[in-house]
Amino acid sequence: MILLADGGLLGGHADIHAWAMATAAVVSASCALVGTLLVVRRMSLLGDAIGHAVLPGIAVAVLAGGRAGGPLVFVGAVMAALVTVWLTRGLRAGGGPEEDAGAGVVFTTLFALGVVIVSAAPPGTHIDPSCVLHGDLTFLPFDTVPVAGLPVPRAFIAGAITFSGLLAAAVATWKLQVFVAFDEAAARAAGLPVAAVTFGLLVATALATVASFDAVGAVLVVAMLVVPAAAAELLTRRLHTMAAVAVALAVVGACVGYLAAWRFSTSAAGMIAVVLGLEYGVAAVLAPGDGGLARVWGRLALAWRVAREDRLAAVWRAEESGGERGPATWRSLLERCAGWWLRADGSLVHTADGWRLSPRGRRDAEMIVRSHRLWEAWLGRHAELPLDHLHPPAEWVEHHLGAAMRQRLEAETGGRENDPHGREIPPEA
Amino acid sequence: MTAPVIAYNTFVVAVGVAAVGFAAGVVGSLCVLRKRALVGDAAAHATLVGVACGFLVTGRRDLATLLAAALVSAVAGLGAMVLLRRFTRTRDDAAIAIVIGVSFGLGITLVSGIPAWGYADSAGLEQFLLGHTAALTAADATLLASVACVAAIVVAIGLKEATLVAFDAAFAAASGWPVAVIDYLLVALVAVMVVAGLPAVGAVLVTALVVIPPVAARFWTDRVGTMLLLAGVIGLVAALVGVAVSAMRPGLATGPLVVLAAAAIFGVSFLIAPERGWIARRIRARTLADAWSRGLALDACLRAAGAGDGTFTPVDVEAAVAGDRQGGRRAGAEAFAALVRTAAVAPVAGGRDAWRLTAAGRALAEERRRRLDAWARVIEHDPDDAREALTIDLPAPGAVLGRTGAGS
Repeated sequence: MILLADGGLLGGHADIHAWAMATAAVVSASCALVGTLLVVRRMSLLGDAIGHAVLPGIAVAVLAGGRAGGPLVFVGAVMAALVTVWLTRGLRAGGGPEEDAGAGVVFTTLFALGVVIVSAAPPGTHIDPSCVLHGDLTFLPFDTVPVAGLPVPRAFIAGAITFSGLLAAAVATWKLQVFVAFDEAAARAAGLPVAAVTFGLLVATALATVASFDAVGAVLVVAMLVVPAAAAELLTRRLHTMAAVAVALAVVGACVGYLAAWRFSTSAAGMIAVVLGLEYGVAAVLAPGDGGLARVWGRLALAWRVAREDRLAAVWRAEESGGERGPATWRSLLERCAGWWLRADGSLVHTADGWRLSPRGRRDAEMIVRSHRLWEAWLGRHAELPLDHLHPPAEWVEHHLGAAMRQRLEAETGGRENDPHGREIPPEA
Repeated sequence: MTAPVIAYNTFVVAVGVAAVGFAAGVVGSLCVLRKRALVGDAAAHATLVGVACGFLVTGRRDLATLLAAALVSAVAGLGAMVLLRRFTRTRDDAAIAIVIGVSFGLGITLVSGIPAWGYADSAGLEQFLLGHTAALTAADATLLASVACVAAIVVAIGLKEATLVAFDAAFAAASGWPVAVIDYLLVALVAVMVVAGLPAVGAVLVTALVVIPPVAARFWTDRVGTMLLLAGVIGLVAALVGVAVSAMRPGLATGPLVVLAAAAIFGVSFLIAPERGWIARRIRARTLADAWSRGLALDACLRAAGAGDGTFTPVDVEAAVAGDRQGGRRAGAEAFAALVRTAAVAPVAGGRDAWRLTAAGRALAEERRRRLDAWARVIEHDPDDAREALTIDLPAPGAVLGRTGAGS
C-alpha cells in the first residue's frame, strides 16, 4: 500500500484504491478458503447456487433496516443459504427432481425473487440492482468506521472478521474436514459428526458469499469460490497446501484484477474473475506432473523412447532371422530420426556387411526382445489367448518392464527358454 | 391488462417470447432427462462475452448480430468446459463453475468497459443481463419465433434417438447410435435456446427457462412426448406472464418475472400432481403405514387368541403396534379402531374390557399368517428369486411389511 501511495501508480486517491484493493483481497481470500473444501467435496455448484440464493436474504435484511456488512445482512444471507439447501434436498426427498436440476430450480427462483424485491424496493434503500450482478468496489472505501483513530471501510472490517473467523474454524476442525472430504462414508462410520461438518461448510459458504456481496455481487462470487481452489488443486497434492495456495492465488488475483480494472476503466469484480481464470489457465498448462505441458512432454518422451527401442529390437530380430533391415529401409520420419539417434549414440555401427548392433546396442535390444517374449510366454500360459493375440499386447508392454518384473515373469512362466511362437527368449544381461 | 388495447408491437413480442418459452421447455426436457440440467447455465453465462464482442467487432446493436455472436461464445464456453474435463484433473462440477464464473466475469468486464472505451451507442447491452422485452421490435420477435420453431422441429425429428440416449446411453451406443454426436447436438440445441431466451430472460436466469418447465412437467406424466409438450406449455405460459407483468410495471426486468411464474407452476405441480406430487405421496405413505399397523394389530390379536382364554384388551394390541419401529401409540389406537370398524374384532359379551377375534377376523389373520410364512420360506430358500418375485407380483404391502414385526 505504501508503495502504491508513494509510487503514484494509481494517481490520486491512492489510499482509497488501496482500501478497495485490500477489501477485494480479504473477501477473495475468504471465498478461496471455503472454496477449497467445496471443490474437494464436489460441491462447487452448491457454491454457485448459494451465491445466487443469498440475494433475497440480503434484500429482505436491507429492507428490514440492516446495512451492508452489518450483522442483520449476514443473518439474512445465512438463512437464505440454508433455505436453498433445505429446499433442494426437500424437493428430492419429496419425489422431485435430481439434485442438480433441483438446485437449478431453487437458486434461479430465489435469485429472481431477490431481483424483484430489489427492483421494487423503495428508492433510497441501500441496494442497487446493477450491484447485485457485479458489485461495486468503488464506493466501499467511503463508508468507514474509525478504528484507533483511522477511518477503516466497513466492508473491509466485515471481510477481515469473516476471514479470521473462517480461518480459525478451519484450523480448529482441519483434521475432521480432511477426513470428511476424502472419505465421507468412513467418517460417518467412525461416528464423526459429518452432517454438522457439512452444515458448517454451508454456513461458511454463505458467510464468505455475503462478505463478498458488496464487492463482487451475487453471480461472480462463484468465480472467487471455485477458480482459485481448482487452480490450487492442480498445483498441489495436499489439502492444507491447496488451501494456502488457493488463498494466495485469490489475493494476487484480487490485487492484479483491481489494478487491471482501474487501468482499463471497467468493472473490478469482472476483471478479478478474469484474472483468476487466467491463473487457472496458467496452472492447467504449467502444473507439474499432469499439467498440459508436462503431459505433452511426457507423451513425446515416451513416443521417442518407444520409437528408439522398436528400431533396436527390429535390427536385433533381423539379425536373428538372418536378414538385414538397417536404417536404410526405414521410411517414416520418426523411424529415421530414431535411426539417426541410434547411430549417433553408438548403438548401431556400420560394418562391411551393413548396419550391425554394437555390443551395447545388442544388450539393450535383447532386454526389449526378452521383455516382449516373456510377456507373450506369460500371456500364453495364464491368459489362455490364441497365438495370434499375443503379439499386440506384448508390443505395448515391452517398453514398460523392468529387470525385477522380467525376473518375476520368468519365474511364473517356469523359466522356459522359448516364447509360445517357439523363438528363443534372450537371457537376462 | 389495464390497457384497453394491446399495442401491436407488444402483441408480436409476446408471441415471439412465448414461442421461445415453448421451445426452451421442449429442448430442456431432453436435457433434464439426460441429467445435464446445469450445462445450459454454463452456456448462458458465456453468452454475455459474445454479446459484448459482437457489439465491439461489428459496431452494430441489432438483435440478430448480437445473438449470433452470443451463440458463438456459448459454444466456446461449452467447448472450454469439455476441454477442462478432458485435459485437467478438475472435476465436472468445478469445470462448470469455472466456466460460469470466468466467462461471466469476462462478459461483465467487457460490458462495463464499453462505455468508457468511447463507444457512445452502447446503451442496452446490460439488458441482456436480466432480460428486457420492452425494447424488442416486431422484427426481433419474428427472429426469436423462427429460431424457436426450428429448434422445436429439430427435436421432433430427433426425438426417438434423443429419448433412447437419455434413458439408456449404453444401450444406444451398443445398438450403433452415435451417442456422442447426439449428445453434442442436444447441447448445441440447448445453447441455441439459451441464446434465444437471452433477450427476454437474461444471461443470469435463462437457465431457468430450460430447467424449471421440464422439472415441473415431470410431475404430471411418465411419457416423454407428453412431458415435452407439457414443459413447452409451461414455458409458454411463464413467458407470457413475465412479458405481461413487465409490460405493466416497466421498472421490473422481464427475466425474474418469467422465472417466478415458472417457479409458481413448479410449486403447484410439486404439491398437487397426482401420483408424483407431494400430497399424493403423503397419502400413499400414510395408507401404507396404516396397512402395516393394521397387520401388526391383527397379528397381536391372533397371538392373544391362541393363549389363555382367547381374549385381549385394546391396550395389549396397541402396545404391540407401538413397540414396532415405525409404530406409535396413536398408530396402535387407529389400527385397533380400523379392526373394530371392519368387524375383525368384537367385544366379549359381559366382559368389561375384553375383546376377541370374530370368525372373519380370525380368517383374515390366519390368511395373513399363512402368506407371511410362505414368503419367509421363499426368502429363506432363495433370497434372489424372492426379490424378483416381489418386484413382479407385489402382494398386499401390509402383509409383507408386517413380517418383520410379527415374525420371530
